[in-house]
Parts: sequence; C-alpha cells; structure tokens
Amino acid sequence: MTISKDHIGGLVFLCLSVAYGYYAGDIALLPGDEFAPFNAQSLPNALALLGGILSIALIVTADRSSEGRIQLAGYDFWLVARLLVLVSLLGVALPWLGFLVSTVLFLIGGYWLLGVRRVKTLLLASVPFAVVLWFLLSQLLDIYLAPGRLFTGLMGG
Amino acid sequence: MWDGIITGLTTAVMPFNLMMVVVGCFAGTFIGMLPGLGPISAVALMIPVTYGLDPASGIILMAGVYYGAVFGGSTSSILINAPGCASTVVTAFDGYPLAQKNQAGKALALAAYSSFTGGTIGALVLLFAAPALASVSLSFQSGDYFALMLLGLTAVAAFSGKGQVIKALLMTVFGLMIATVGTDVTSGATRFTFGSVDLIDGVSFLLLAMATFALTEVVMTVMRGQHKEEEPDMDMASLGSMKLSREEIKEVAPTIGRSSIFGFIVGVLPGAGATIASFLAYGMERNLASAREKLKFGKGSLRGLAAPESANNAASTGSFVPLLTLGIPGSGTTAIMLGALIAYGIQPGPRLFMDNPDVFWSVIISMYFGNLVLLILNLPLIPYISRLLAIPRPILIPLILFFSITGVYLVSFNTFDIQMMVLITLIAIFLKLLQFPMAPMLLGFILGGIMENNLGRALTVTDGSFSFLWERPLTLVITSIAVLVLVLPLLSALLGKVRSRGAAVAVNEGEG
Repeated sequence: MTISKDHIGGLVFLCLSVAYGYYAGDIALLPGDEFAPFNAQSLPNALALLGGILSIALIVTADRSSEGRIQLAGYDFWLVARLLVLVSLLGVALPWLGFLVSTVLFLIGGYWLLGVRRVKTLLLASVPFAVVLWFLLSQLLDIYLAPGRLFTGLMGG
Repeated sequence: MWDGIITGLTTAVMPFNLMMVVVGCFAGTFIGMLPGLGPISAVALMIPVTYGLDPASGIILMAGVYYGAVFGGSTSSILINAPGCASTVVTAFDGYPLAQKNQAGKALALAAYSSFTGGTIGALVLLFAAPALASVSLSFQSGDYFALMLLGLTAVAAFSGKGQVIKALLMTVFGLMIATVGTDVTSGATRFTFGSVDLIDGVSFLLLAMATFALTEVVMTVMRGQHKEEEPDMDMASLGSMKLSREEIKEVAPTIGRSSIFGFIVGVLPGAGATIASFLAYGMERNLASAREKLKFGKGSLRGLAAPESANNAASTGSFVPLLTLGIPGSGTTAIMLGALIAYGIQPGPRLFMDNPDVFWSVIISMYFGNLVLLILNLPLIPYISRLLAIPRPILIPLILFFSITGVYLVSFNTFDIQMMVLITLIAIFLKLLQFPMAPMLLGFILGGIMENNLGRALTVTDGSFSFLWERPLTLVITSIAVLVLVLPLLSALLGKVRSRGAAVAVNEGEG
C-alpha cells in the first residue's frame, strides 16, 4: 500500500485531534459551569470531534496513486534548517546584544548562508541598513530599543 | 449615504491618506513582482507598519498594497512569465507571448487599463451594494452571525479546489483550535497554555499571519532553490509602445466590461476571490470568441489578456463587500485585513458603516484612488520599479526575513514570539509539503473567537438547543446555503472517488 501525503496528513491531524481532545478535559470550569449549555470546554470538545472525523475521512478518501506520494527531492532542507536556526538565534541575541548588533549579525549570517562571500557586500548590505533602521525607530519614532544586557552589564547602567 | 460618501471623501483626500495610497500601491507592486510573494504576503508584511496608524489610514494602506501586489504580479507575469501570485497566472497565458513579440509595453498598458476599469467598476458597484447589504444585515442576531461565520468558513473550504475540500476543512478546524489557546473571555479559564505565561493572551494574529504567509513563503523559495536563480534580464528598451490603437480598444472594451462585472460577482462570493475570477473570466471570454479568435488565445490575444486582468481587480474589490458588510472575508488577503481591523478594536460587519463610517467609506473611496494611482503613476514607472528586481536574491531574502521577524518583535518586544514564529513556520512548511492550504487556517483562527462568542450567546438564549439555526427564516437560509456549499463539493469528491475506483475494479476484472 502506498503511503500518500493524504495518509500522513490525516494521521497527523488525527493524533492532534486526540491530544487536543485529551487536554480539553483539563480546562478548569467555574463551579456549576458543567451544567451550562455552553462552557469553556464546549467548543474544544466539538473541535476535537470534528477534527477526528475529518482526519478519518481524509485517510479513507486518500489519493492512493503514485502522484499522491510525498516528493522531497529537490528541496534544500539543510539550508532552510540553518536559516531557521539563524532566526532563532536572533531571538536569543536580541536581549543580550541589543537591536543594532543583532540586526547586523543576523543579516551578515543570512547573506552568508545564501552564498554571499564578499566581505565588502556583507558589510555594506547590513551595517548601513541596520544603522538607518535603528536611527528611524529609536530616534525618529521614539521607540525604546534596549541596548542589550551584555553592554549594560559591561558598561554599567 | 451621501453623508457617508462625503465623510469617506474627506478622510480619503487627507494628504496623509493619499500618501498611504501611493506608498501602498508602490510597495505592493514591488512585493507582488517578486516571484513567490503574492498579495497575502504583501499585506501581511504591512500589518506591523499599520499598527502605528489610525484605522482608516491603516486599512487604506493595506488596500493600496493589495491592488499594487495584484498589479505587480501581472507585470512579472507579462515580462518574465513568472506570476507573482495565483490570480495573475492566467495573465501570463497571453501577456508573455505579447512580450515575446516585442509588445510588452502594449501588454502592460492593456493590463493596467483593464485593471483600472475592473477596479473602478468594482468600486462603483461596491459604493451602492455595500450599504444596501449592510442595512439588511443590521437585523442580524447572534444565531445569524454564527450561521454567517459557518458559511464563511465552509465557503473558503468549498472553493479551495478539487480534492482539497477535506484538507481545507481540516485546516479551518486547526485554525479554530489555535484560536482557543489562551484565556476564555467568558469564563476567564486558561486553555491549552500548558502553564506558559506567554500563551495566556493566546497566539497573536500578527504572529500567525507573518509566520504562515511571509516567513514560510520566503523560506519555501529558499527551499526550492529559487534564490540561486539568475535575476531576470529585462530589456526595458524593447518594451515597445504603450499605446493601443482605436481598433484594439474597440476589440477589448466589451471584454473588459463583462469581465469586470463577472469578476466583481465572483469576488463577492465568500471564499472565491481573484484567482477563480481570473480563470473563469478567461474561460468565458474564450467560449464567447469566434472560432478564428479562439486560435489566438494563448498566443498573445488582447482579449485573453484583458479578461483576467479586469476580472481579478474587480474581484479584489468585490471581496471587500462581505468583509465590510458581514465581517466575512472573501479571500485570504481580506482575511488578514479582517484580523487587522479586529486588532484596531473595530468590529467589521453590519455596524461598521454606522459605528465607523470614516473607515467604511474612506476604504471604498480610496479604492478608486488606488486604481488611479496604479494607472497614472505605476504604469509609467514600471521600467524603474522592475529595476528593483535586480537586487540579488541572496540580499533580498534575508532582508524580507528580517522585516517579517522584527514586524512581530517590535509590537510585543517579546523574544518568545520569534521562537514561536520559527515553530509555526516549521509546521507550515510541513503542511505545505503535504499540500494543505493555509488561508482556511488563518480564517478559522480569525473568526474563531467571534464565532465562539456568538454560538455561546445563541445557545444560552435557547437553553442549549440548536433550534436557533432554523427557527428564523434568515438564519435558516444562511444555514442552508452553508450546508449546501459544504455538502455539494464533498459529495462530488466522494462520488468521483467511488466512480474512479469502480472503473479501476472494472478494468482489473476485465484484465483478469
């Protein structure tokens, strides 16, 4: 039997619906709410049931032809993984290094990952952009951008 | 109504709002030209910018970006045969062959004139249709609203394409599930937060929209290796004349007229939108053409270019009718605008044109201005705007990534949101690989809260009975349409499967 995209999708959503329905039971209700016609658990329970029915319907009616198989050839997952790690690192760096330095590092990292190797391009496409954006946000629009814990720790204050 | 039009006109002609139309059209045209990024991504990228503006200016900017992106998509379809979005795929059928015949200028001009006429006719019809529909819907009760939301959600699933109905419905349910995360507004109970303080307010609409439409689309272009593609070599000198002869205008005028009205009607249907309108208008025009004319379709027919262009712009305008009057988006892009309006504290729907007449009317009036800007400013500037496409992709992609992330971060200043975006992007990529559509999920998420409130209110009034769905004639009509819209495609899909299996069994038995 061919495992198609629809089968995988159906199974994933079935598991999600079961887990969602299980945790819906954990929602705390106000005293007496369990007798109310509609409470905080009503919609989640209905959605879990609906999700379950639709997932089973998807699995039953799944496209079994070879066209329905998942095609992963030709996709650069490794590059995407590195880009998403870079995005995640930006989230980690922002509170420590501040907006300006994190932006410059993120952009240089992004250009580098996508194949830019010339140091001049890497710097020219990131530093002026970050400085102008920082100036626009913090000086013109008066948005407070924290300088980063590392710098406040080192320089005080 | 005239008071409203004057209010809208005064708001729309304010210099700042006029500037928003111009900026929106330019930004939209540029983003729409980039292959892989369509109107949904363009509007999603604009949300953080609009948070600092007042509601009318914000929506005017987003509406400008919307037409601009559709127009930009047509430009890249004609010039480089790379449609920026689904609604301009048909434009490439006849637009690109014209460009190959050194008539790119003529094709671009015709696309702009058709878009302008389509958009203008759409805006004029909207001017009269929207208040009429809104006044009818003023008598709506909780039950009607719930039925209406149901119709909106089922319609989006039903129009999602052959074999996609169940997947679209699942995605709608998934969106509704995400909407339940956070604090329940009625009881104050926390749901699915797993003890995390960051989830108490639920998942932010901005975060979800940016992660699924901006971040995911950009990451998908990298995943497909499109960032390595050479920048298109567009020889602007060979654009040719942008003038149309009198005979050519005579030939396309009826086409533009019919396709505009047809496109508007399709756009009004919840869930249909510009893509379906452009395909249907092209098909209709081909069927209406004489046998000799038919042969020209696909080889550079002016009618074949004018039909989808007028239809997709008129449909873009038409999709504002259900958004502004019923609070139901007609397309993925208007779904994002709905989310933005809700974030402003404005409830789109029947009361919008009474409570916020400035927003309601200025959007309608600025649509007309938007079309004018596209014609007068964007068309002559196309050779210059397309030069922006020459920015190497490895430089452009990290910048777009950065804008999508900081757009979310600068609203909440919470780095948890960035990690959440990465997680949602991963899930979205996985679902996209399995060919699950994203728009129904966003629609389910946006409508989830309002739907739950209305359902809760209606069930409390009827003491838990679902009879509110058929007791009032109006609710009964809406519920019946929702059921029909849902059941018909499901039945046809199931019948199709049964028939094909039956045929396969018959063949196997024959072979045996």
